[in-house]
Amino acid sequence: MARKVGIVGAGVTPFRGKWYEKTYYELAQMATREAVQDAAISIKNVDATFYGIYNDIFERAAIPEHPLQGIIGMQNKFGIRISCGGATGAYTLSAAHAYLAGERFKTALVLGVEKATDCFDFLSMSATPEVIKSIGWSGDSFFEQKIGWSASDSYAEIVLGYMDEYPGTLKPEVTAQISSQLSKQVRTNPYAQRQFDQVTPEEVMNSRYIVYPFKELEICVYTEGAAALILAEEETAKAIAKNSGKPIVWITGVGEANEHSFAGKNQKNMSHIVSDYLGSHHAYEMAGIKDPVKAIDIVELHDAFVHQLEISLAEFGLVPYEKVDSLIEEGIMLPGGRLLVNPCGGLIYCGHAVGASNIMSAWSARNELINRNLKTALVHGTGSTISQYTACAIFEHE
Amino acid sequence: MTEKVQKVIPDEYIPEVRSRVVTIDNKDYLLQNDAMFTFYERSMGEFSPFFLAIKDEKKILGCKCPKCGIVRVPPMVTHCPDCNFTPTELVEVEQVGKMNTTPPITYFATSMFLDKAPFGRGRVILNGADTALSVMLYTTTGILVPGLIKKGTEVKVIFGDERIGQITDIYCVPASELTPEQLAKKGLQESELNWEAPKEPEFPEASDEDMAVYKQSLKEMQALAAEMSRSKRARKAIEGWKRDIAVKTKGGEFAMYIDDGDFKIEEKKLKSPDFVMACEDPRTLLDGLMYNGAITDSVIMKRLWISKNLEFNTIFKLDRLARFLAREKKEQAVK
Repeated sequence: MARKVGIVGAGVTPFRGKWYEKTYYELAQMATREAVQDAAISIKNVDATFYGIYNDIFERAAIPEHPLQGIIGMQNKFGIRISCGGATGAYTLSAAHAYLAGERFKTALVLGVEKATDCFDFLSMSATPEVIKSIGWSGDSFFEQKIGWSASDSYAEIVLGYMDEYPGTLKPEVTAQISSQLSKQVRTNPYAQRQFDQVTPEEVMNSRYIVYPFKELEICVYTEGAAALILAEEETAKAIAKNSGKPIVWITGVGEANEHSFAGKNQKNMSHIVSDYLGSHHAYEMAGIKDPVKAIDIVELHDAFVHQLEISLAEFGLVPYEKVDSLIEEGIMLPGGRLLVNPCGGLIYCGHAVGASNIMSAWSARNELINRNLKTALVHGTGSTISQYTACAIFEHE
Repeated sequence: MTEKVQKVIPDEYIPEVRSRVVTIDNKDYLLQNDAMFTFYERSMGEFSPFFLAIKDEKKILGCKCPKCGIVRVPPMVTHCPDCNFTPTELVEVEQVGKMNTTPPITYFATSMFLDKAPFGRGRVILNGADTALSVMLYTTTGILVPGLIKKGTEVKVIFGDERIGQITDIYCVPASELTPEQLAKKGLQESELNWEAPKEPEFPEASDEDMAVYKQSLKEMQALAAEMSRSKRARKAIEGWKRDIAVKTKGGEFAMYIDDGDFKIEEKKLKSPDFVMACEDPRTLLDGLMYNGAITDSVIMKRLWISKNLEFNTIFKLDRLARFLAREKKEQAVK
């Protein structure tokens, strides 16, 4: 029988569009300092590190985690890097969980960091075209990179595929209201990149197209920052929690799936995010959740795009496919609704520091479960081309 | 005549060796121009027949599993992963097919594709194939707009005139834009298509009312431009950017100057602008600058014409300028 694993500490750096003042070395250490302080332990008590870093090009090094081992005080101990596109953070959490559940270690540091906007395009004199170019190296290199593959256009393919299958869903008025709602929620997150960027649905509707059908205010923003969690197996977690006085949030389920990266017969279904369906349902099964609509109080999901947020929630079984706009039209994710979706503002407003993003979501889910005294949260990461990768985790608060 | 040599990395992308300092809270931080670069002489390995067939024979190849019968295009595998790795065989497929799903259109492209936007990229299932080939999509009628190519739209593969054995040697256009002969022809080349040339729109003569609208809009735009030049945040949107733009409307013509944070509008006809914007109603542009509807969308929806597609980049900056000023005003109002 695998050991129970819980979260006993968490910390994040402020998420910013640009950290002129810090390199990723310092950002990684900042988040680590916060997490061990939160757990009221010494870094000397941590057995292993799981690094979540997405893209070597952002950090400008091919083994970007190697200098961090000493900087975060983990020399001479286990360290492994996970890189799974946008789902890097969630997969890193999943890997750490497996090592602790399998009794290899008693405690682990889950550390995500990314410094995206050092990339700079000297032709347009702005960072964003170079940031998305750097992400563009993640597409298939034989057939797709050279014809303009980008993260946005590959996710837009799925969204349009979904709209082909479920016409009349993902209405622009609804996606605009969701973005506006997330911008209200971010107001209470002091670590967010866009804490004070509250927008109205009209402003979202009026913002420019980036990639059809995505408008500028419906897309996550690129971010620099780090996030860290301290995980421990059951007995150690209890001892740490007794000392810190903070409740344990248990990881009761994890689930992952990676789809085919090309479309067509026996390959990827372009009208669904099957990986989200499988990842979430594997996690439910492990956690013993039979009815997610009843069980899940909070969802901290990877909202790369508002439209994808809606589809993901449908794949999680939390809203019907053909009635996905009921999230707004029936008030499901509005204040007082049955589901709290991305209370941190999500990646669209808190920011997307890729390797750190899902770990920030986990930090938020843990805080919200404790502070609102709720029971169950679903944490999610999506990534790679055409939303190919998913990792999910179920958090339960005693 | 000397042959034009294309570089793997065009010279204009490469910055000078240089550094600069930014000061935040009285502390200096150093920014260094830098790059990670690696060159490749990359083998196309098992994909070589596919790329060579495009280059030399104007053919599209796939691979067929003799056991399950699936034809994969491109020929992604030499052994079928669904049939215990049964060896597959190369087959030729047709050059017409249907869109697997509605394709997205990229307006804001990566730094390597700024000159190609707006472009569509989608997946076509060519007749004779079971899987979808990723292709760039164009229309011969001008800018690709949403709704023109949808799920199920029939498209045809077009071959570039000069092919080097890369996926960029091919793209697709809607079959409905071709003659029956073109549609039937195998290996149809780019130069055989009738591309509509971008033409500057001509406006009818302005009425007194049009003149009044022009005068009023110009005044409002000039006031906005002055505000933008004073706004610290708005200035950031056009930092390091310089453009002289001729703007033509029904009621009259004026000039927009972007100069490293400064934004100015003057009633003047420019002799050699960097590019031309034309919109019948000047309020289209005024609305954009007021952050009441994106200028980008006006270009997409053909309310505003630009003489160079590459200048989408400047249009994005103008949209950002409007957003940054609106955001600053809103924050001041909250305070």
